[in-house]
Amino acid sequence: MISFEDFSFCYMGSEEKALSNLSLQIEKGEFVGIIGNSGAGKSTFTYALSGIVPHHFQGDFYGMVKVNGLDTVNVAPEKLAEFVGEVFQDIDSQMVASVVEDEILFGLENFGFSKEEIKKRLEQSLEMLGISDLRYRQISSLSGGQKQKVAIASILALEPEIIVLDEPTGELDPESTVMIFEILKRLNKEFGKTVIIVEQKIMMLCEYAERLLVLEQGKLVYDGKSKDIVEHVELFEELGINVPRVVKLGLRLKEEGLYQGKIPTNVKEAEEMLKEVLAC
Amino acid sequence: MNLLQYVPGDSFLHKLNPVTKLFAAFLYGVACIVTQSVWVEIVLIMLMLAISTLAGLQKRALHLAKNLFILGLFMFVLQLLFVRTGEPLLVYNNFCFFTTGGLSSALLLSFRIIGTMLPLMLLFAITQMNDLCSALVKCLHVPYKYAFIVTTAFRFVPLFTTEFHDIEDAQKARGVEYDTKNFFKKMSLIAPLFVPLLISSLKKVDSGAVSAELRGFHLRTVKSGYKEYPFGLQDGICAVCILCLIAGAAVL
Ligand SMILES: Nc1ncnc2c1ncn2[C@@H]1O[C@H](COP(=O)(O)OP(=O)(O)OP(=O)(O)O)[C@@H](O)[C@H]1O
Ligand SMILES: [Mg+2]
Repeated sequence: MISFEDFSFCYMGSEEKALSNLSLQIEKGEFVGIIGNSGAGKSTFTYALSGIVPHHFQGDFYGMVKVNGLDTVNVAPEKLAEFVGEVFQDIDSQMVASVVEDEILFGLENFGFSKEEIKKRLEQSLEMLGISDLRYRQISSLSGGQKQKVAIASILALEPEIIVLDEPTGELDPESTVMIFEILKRLNKEFGKTVIIVEQKIMMLCEYAERLLVLEQGKLVYDGKSKDIVEHVELFEELGINVPRVVKLGLRLKEEGLYQGKIPTNVKEAEEMLKEVLAC
Repeated sequence: MNLLQYVPGDSFLHKLNPVTKLFAAFLYGVACIVTQSVWVEIVLIMLMLAISTLAGLQKRALHLAKNLFILGLFMFVLQLLFVRTGEPLLVYNNFCFFTTGGLSSALLLSFRIIGTMLPLMLLFAITQMNDLCSALVKCLHVPYKYAFIVTTAFRFVPLFTTEFHDIEDAQKARGVEYDTKNFFKKMSLIAPLFVPLLISSLKKVDSGAVSAELRGFHLRTVKSGYKEYPFGLQDGICAVCILCLIAGAAVL
């Protein structure tokens, strides 16, 4: 469904490649988390998916990126937009309207849905993100977190097959962060949407994403199940990415000889582990 | 107070079709231009203030009128000194300061300025910019591209100001004294901020354009608009009133 073949990209005027020699496949219905340090190329990766690279950001493009069988170099971003929806990292610059309702309507109107469909999707997406009360508010008067929800709603309303989000929870409180991930999980499980999310909170990725990509200075240094990070703890420490505390706890208990089972990667598994440890 | 900001409300004025509002405001201005009588001009301004009061906008209207009055005063002085028709009115040592013709044309011009600007500026208090643009697209088939440019420009005003204040605060934190009363000193402090401001704004415009494109901007057609802007009875009444007003102003 999505394939990167030896893909490299170097922004015009920049010395170093933002991404180099990336090869990977993402199948329909996957839930992929991307993590990495600042400047690692995470945003560039999402741009490559939506065709902004190379159509908007000029530079040297090597290799091939295919989305739904279409070579992104040969297809205009508007065409890709029919099945890829992207929430940008910089929320402010993503906004095209001054009122929340119009922001969500914008894409829906453009893609030419019928009136009833637009009404349904508008209300649905507002409700899904719990921002129905913000419907008629001026976007400039919203808080950072509220804007983030509006931006996500405006993309989810389009119901794209591939949902790409670049650090969408940066300004959200923990509760709203969980809500966003729950929504994405539902879209992924119930509707088979492919979800690709850049996120700094490793705990959330371990909990929700099945697959984890780690980028470091433009290179893909880890590509595997998020559950398997317990076996690569050293790699993560080396990269300066904190593994979830439950993983550390599990490893520590194992080290002390108190626990022999599977190392937990989320709270539920940790609960099981602690029950087992405390029982004996 | 931002003079162009929308004031929410549900008065009869708010409920008119945005296109009607635009044309009514425009034609009201025309009425102020066609009339040759200072009295009619004064009546038109008073009428405008009365209508705004009925719509609950008296504060905004008076504030605007005050600001326009300053502009009017300026034009009054200029006109008074430069128009030299009619009888001399104030003569000192054989030097004529102003004439009757100058006085009447100065009065007419300054009231005319207030009379034409007031309805146009009040238009923004009762109409959301995006409603106005969408209605123009829907009802008059103005190309969406232009409407989008205008709404975007308007949207950037508050964004621009917050950005400006952010940069200003950052500079203040570094000990730059913006509170100086000296205008020239202040300007010389502010001027260097415009470059970073311009760059960050251009960046925003640019990524805004990308975002618009990714959400199908190019696919848009005339039929795309979701909101409808039908004309109603009140729009008809408004049109008749405004036409009568123009006719009256032209005759008197
Ligand atoms: N428009 C651009 N022009 C030139 N270089 C760029 C541009 N955008 C990004 N880069 C460079 O490409 C590299 C990768 O940037 P990218 O934005 O993809 O990183 P990121 O992983 O998203 O970082 P962050 O976590 O800070 O968002 C960086 O070295 C950056 O300086
Ligand atoms: Mg980024």
